[in-house]
Amino acid sequence: MVRLSLRLILGACLLMTTPLVASTQTRMPQLKFTDRTLANGLRVLTVEDHSSPTVAIQVWYHVGSKDDPNQRSGFAHLFEHIMFKSTKNMKSEMMDRLTEDVGGFNNAFTNDDVTVYFEVVPSNYLETLIWAEADRLSGLNVDDANFKSERDVVKEEYRQSILAPPYGRAFYLLQSKSFQEHPYKRPTIGSIEDLDAASLKDVQEFHSTYYRPDNATLVVVGDFDPKQLDGWIDKYFTPIAKPSRPLPRVTVKEPPRKSEIRVTEFGHNDLPAVGFTFLTAKLSDPDADALQVANAILTAGESSRLYHSLVYTQQIAAEVLSDENALEDAGLFIMGAILSEGKKVEDAEKSMLAEIKKLQDAPVSAAELEKAKNQLVTDQLRERETGNGKAMALGQAAVLLGDPARVNTDLARLQAVTAADIQRVMKKYFTDSNRLVLYYLPQTTKKEGQ
Amino acid sequence: MIRNILFSAALCVLGALCVYSQTPQATPPPPAAPRSSKFPTPVDQTLPNGLRVIVIERTESPLISAQLLIKNGGEVDAPELAGLADMTANLLTKGTQTRDATKIAQEIESLGGSLDSGARWDSSFASVNVMSSKIQPAMEILADVVRHPTFKSEEVERLRQQYLDNFTLAVGDPGSLARMVAARVVFGDSPYGHPVSGTSESLTRITGADITKMHSRYYRPDNAILVIGGDINAKDGLALATKYFGDWQKPATPLPAISAATENATAKTGRIVVIDKPDAGQAAVYLARTGINRQDPDFFRGIVSNSVLSGYSGRLNQEIRIKRGLSYGAGSTLDARRDVGPFVASAQTKNESGAQVADLLLGEIGRLSSAPPADVELTPRKAVLVGSFSRNLETVNGLVGQVGSLALYGLGLDEINRYINNVQAIGTADIQKFAGARLDAKTSNIIIVGNAKAFLPELQKKYPNVEVISVNDLDLNSALLKKKQATGE
Repeated sequence: MVRLSLRLILGACLLMTTPLVASTQTRMPQLKFTDRTLANGLRVLTVEDHSSPTVAIQVWYHVGSKDDPNQRSGFAHLFEHIMFKSTKNMKSEMMDRLTEDVGGFNNAFTNDDVTVYFEVVPSNYLETLIWAEADRLSGLNVDDANFKSERDVVKEEYRQSILAPPYGRAFYLLQSKSFQEHPYKRPTIGSIEDLDAASLKDVQEFHSTYYRPDNATLVVVGDFDPKQLDGWIDKYFTPIAKPSRPLPRVTVKEPPRKSEIRVTEFGHNDLPAVGFTFLTAKLSDPDADALQVANAILTAGESSRLYHSLVYTQQIAAEVLSDENALEDAGLFIMGAILSEGKKVEDAEKSMLAEIKKLQDAPVSAAELEKAKNQLVTDQLRERETGNGKAMALGQAAVLLGDPARVNTDLARLQAVTAADIQRVMKKYFTDSNRLVLYYLPQTTKKEGQ
Repeated sequence: MIRNILFSAALCVLGALCVYSQTPQATPPPPAAPRSSKFPTPVDQTLPNGLRVIVIERTESPLISAQLLIKNGGEVDAPELAGLADMTANLLTKGTQTRDATKIAQEIESLGGSLDSGARWDSSFASVNVMSSKIQPAMEILADVVRHPTFKSEEVERLRQQYLDNFTLAVGDPGSLARMVAARVVFGDSPYGHPVSGTSESLTRITGADITKMHSRYYRPDNAILVIGGDINAKDGLALATKYFGDWQKPATPLPAISAATENATAKTGRIVVIDKPDAGQAAVYLARTGINRQDPDFFRGIVSNSVLSGYSGRLNQEIRIKRGLSYGAGSTLDARRDVGPFVASAQTKNESGAQVADLLLGEIGRLSSAPPADVELTPRKAVLVGSFSRNLETVNGLVGQVGSLALYGLGLDEINRYINNVQAIGTADIQKFAGARLDAKTSNIIIVGNAKAFLPELQKKYPNVEVISVNDLDLNSALLKKKQATGE
């Protein structure tokens, strides 16, 4: 539950911004934020909001599982767990004493590109949390027993998310088979062997390499006095020095796929499943908006094309899903179906490809386009109901999109997506040679020699 | 000392002068004085046709959530028709006299809204969540699906297959299978014992006539509550309710009696049931027993006791995850229903540690009365409850859900503004009393779904009466849990 990797397997889904659209009649509340950078490089974004006597604090570190050290897949995520252990001034789990015990909560997640720590506390505890976040950025002081026990927790997380659910491993395979060169080929949760190989020494190295003020963004949203908050941030964060070493960055480029990749695997699922991936546009690419709308047209709601065709009309599938997972260095569109009883994967594959072809052959109607945009706006409104949700939106705009103002302006970008844009991106990315197809079949149907 | 810290903080407020002169201190700065919060007051009215309408205004976001509750759900399913209430509620959105399923989905999704329906224990619901500018057309659709569903046979067949597929998926997952088995172990053949969405056998039996009958019997204004919350005031909310539900006729027939409480088997020694699923990637370990009903005077003692056990720093997670690294998370729920609901504590762990985790769950339940929490432990656990209650009310869905639940169980709606005091009033003696009387480890059951070979020998050493059932012989249709041909061996 806590210290989870949100949608770990799919990577950055939660974080990938669902851009906004201003419906004609709806007021989309703008986030009035302040933006400053301390001398040591820490970026600070704040939004004053007194609607409830609480405050949301987040620290975004620009390091994710793509930065896992060699032979240490899963390390960035394991490290995230270790950040709740002891520091120079805090005992293990003291973060829980400062948040949970006073009626707040804390959590964190890791994905391919970032690691985010977040807390919501009654607003009178704000200074305490600013101190605590500064303290664990300053350094860790973890002993071997704590390290090993937390590593066991992460191994249980692996079992709970990959091994126990009937399709856990299918998602793991979809990501790991999708990339040939880029470290995105290592799913965030890593592997048991690599987790077992990790040591306390790796922890210290990772902290000093990536946990530095010029690789962090502090976001505070809620009930505070701005002058007082600025004073606390200056007091606790400015003494943390910026290291002179350069920050290592992944520079590997994923080569384009040359021909269709087909994979068949067997699991302990009773119903067969089929999954597809296509390499698409990275986060900063202008095509990312049109791909988001296309994704909504394919699977958002029961009137979406894939649901209506495969689940409702043909009754081939029990469930369909798709996700445009726009990461920093690449985009990965994932699409899949769990079959209904007695149906064939080949038929599901054919039907899904037919829906893609329809989007390539003819533009979507104005009504269908408007529907998808309305769905995306309402989702965004729901996400921003809470201070934590607002902070999340601001953090992703700043850290992943490189401009916090996009928290307010992505609305217009999405509004500008046309039917022709959707047709264009569908033709550009959803080609035969850019396709990976995974058949995930019940072990009981495995034949001799397979 | 405290004064000094406050003083230096106050200096910083004056400007940036102190910025570079300080280093992080070795102890955390203490909190400032707390600020209080008050929740919106629900406005509660009843229309002439008997429909209770509750409006709660909260204008922070331009969203409205509206939920129509029917005061009966899965508990009124006949034993052989498990899943009937849930299928009935789900079918509401699959066609009305003027709209087919496709049109309903297109219309609500074009508004950017979501329309959900289903049945739980004690209630069925249909709800919309939409931008406030779109509430009129959304309410029109909500009223249409509740009042004029057609239950066409092709839609019944379609949904039946989806439910059958979902049942197959649920049985394949150790956690969801353990929950279904736990309900049978605790409630046997009484109303809360079956899976609320049915089993492959019961789903096959349900007919269109059963569904139509369920709808005409329970879906009536005098058996319903409409809760509207969010960016809307009481006057407009009531006008909306009157416009779309005011002419919903109340039938002349009397309301069906709320099903009488079914006595649960009293204070039997707990069972240890293992469902052997050799391909399970992890063991799901559940402790399950009867808990309390929602009107129980011990409700607040109960939820505070549960909070001592559950949550990240609750005793279960402390012992199982934080101290021993045996699970990604351990926790418990006290599900208070119209009749006595279940108390369930659970964790998933590698198959090899199944027996150890079962022991830890039983041990912690026992320790709640033998070593009840002193204030130093109890105060934070109460803060957890109060905090999560308050945060839940920050979203319109949370607000509507919370108020709807109070209304459903006949409790005062002002409880949302008394909740914090009720929680704070609970002390160590209350926990000890509640745990001793209501959460006895000896009458608690253990259910483990996993690869039995990995943990059975260790489990049997401690508990000689372990019942082992192969997943292939499991029958969720009755308290026996075993298919007929398998029982005679």
